[in-house]
Amino acid sequence: MVSNGWRLSRGRGAGAAQLPLAICAVVAIVIVLLGKAEASIFDHARAKISDWVAPILEQVRDPLAGIERWVGGIGTFFSVYEENLRLKRENAELKRWQNAALTLERRIERYELLLHAVANSELPSISARVIGQSSHPFVKTMILNAGTAQGVKSGQAVVDDRGLIGRIYLAGQRSSWVILLTDLNSRIPVVITPSNHRAILAGDNTPAPELQIHELGGKVKAGDRVMSSGDGGLLPPDLPVGLVVADGDELRVALFSNADAADFVHVLDYKAPVEPPPGAAAAELPATRQFTSGDIVDAPAPGQPEPMTSPNALTGPAPLPRLSPGMAAANTPQRPRTPVDEDVTPSDE
Amino acid sequence: MGGQSVLGFVIRTFIVLIPVSFGVVLVMMVNLPVSVTGGLIPAPQLVLAPIYFWALVRPDLMPPIAALGLGLLEDLLSGGAPGVWGGGFLAAYAFSERQQDSLAGLSGSGAVLGFAAAMFIAAGTAYALAALAYWQWPPAAPVLLQSAVTVAFYPLLAAIMNRLHRRFIGPRRED
Repeated sequence: MVSNGWRLSRGRGAGAAQLPLAICAVVAIVIVLLGKAEASIFDHARAKISDWVAPILEQVRDPLAGIERWVGGIGTFFSVYEENLRLKRENAELKRWQNAALTLERRIERYELLLHAVANSELPSISARVIGQSSHPFVKTMILNAGTAQGVKSGQAVVDDRGLIGRIYLAGQRSSWVILLTDLNSRIPVVITPSNHRAILAGDNTPAPELQIHELGGKVKAGDRVMSSGDGGLLPPDLPVGLVVADGDELRVALFSNADAADFVHVLDYKAPVEPPPGAAAAELPATRQFTSGDIVDAPAPGQPEPMTSPNALTGPAPLPRLSPGMAAANTPQRPRTPVDEDVTPSDE
Repeated sequence: MGGQSVLGFVIRTFIVLIPVSFGVVLVMMVNLPVSVTGGLIPAPQLVLAPIYFWALVRPDLMPPIAALGLGLLEDLLSGGAPGVWGGGFLAAYAFSERQQDSLAGLSGSGAVLGFAAAMFIAAGTAYALAALAYWQWPPAAPVLLQSAVTVAFYPLLAAIMNRLHRRFIGPRRED
């Protein structure tokens, strides 16, 4: 049967499987096209499978992670001295930055106090363990051991201690899938500081995703900081993403996060503030067509400044989003209420 | 007598399921959350080895639908577009099936080269299907690297599959 190592014996005659093979080939192409047209069918199956294998992956992960650490440690064993010196230098530098950060933090607190601004609060988050990771040529994904049962939902941002890793694209009951920033299909809106240029961070399965800047003539340079912009309302703004690096003619981003080394991550529960739809012009409102715009706004009380007639003032009661205090602080610009606000905000009565 | 026939049926079922079960185990293995190389090298596509091996020696135990199913499982577990590796494995299966006479007689480095040809056909097909699914050309270097790593693992896997085959499966009765 088998001789000389890997010599294989003959099976049945060639060509016997051609018909089922042709059928299967057609099925494969149909699956590819169906996966593109109706991804939800396969996403549902994927969520079920990941829920099913999640306990197995969790059990297998620990011993394998030990082996991984041991193998990974072999390389660093011979460079412990140099690594120690490098870490001491880095530590000294970080202490300097810590002092600067503390000073700035106190200054910001004072400014916020002066402006009566509500301080930003932490976004609520769900801690989850990485139980699976795909390092394949076409996909860069991660499986977490938290799903809808823990409050994880599709679209939520996933961060490690250093920055944004990706976002949830599929949530099962007890597990969820993260599409990494490096994945071919990942596209997130970012802002580059200090120039404040808006860009799209596009993954291409390389470790450093590409930066697609739409604004021409910008002065984006290597070393600039990249953060999530929050545009589109999917991801929270101001999440640290990475630093701009030049790669020939194009710009890429060296990510702060390290998905390969991630053990525990945080899934941010962010809800974008609901923006009211643009209001109709006063002349378009049936009930107000007969009045002039000045008639709608209450007359100012004696001694008070003349209220400005803004488009919002004419469109009637705009639905205000119901946000938790933290969310409101994180996502809406705060300003002191003015007499104009008082005038145009209708009462519940 | 009846108990013996039931036991015989269970044993026969176990034997019949060995090739596909081995493939399922390999799919699970390559999708484990660890990377010894820290993500530098893509996980090898180990599941092609049992598909190629048993497509040559016992195609009745590794039919095309099993190759498609293993590819689909790989796609679902890795998070990739469904059908990409299913199609790739089927292309490799078709190559093995058409070249069965020449491939089945290969040994040593020849057998590795035969597997390498099957791997590159699978990878090329998967690449084309991925381009169709994502509507853009994925980078080719990781696919080539993955193919090379997979081929490097083949001698080890072939030794394991040889043992399994000789110990439990054996040739078909009419062979």
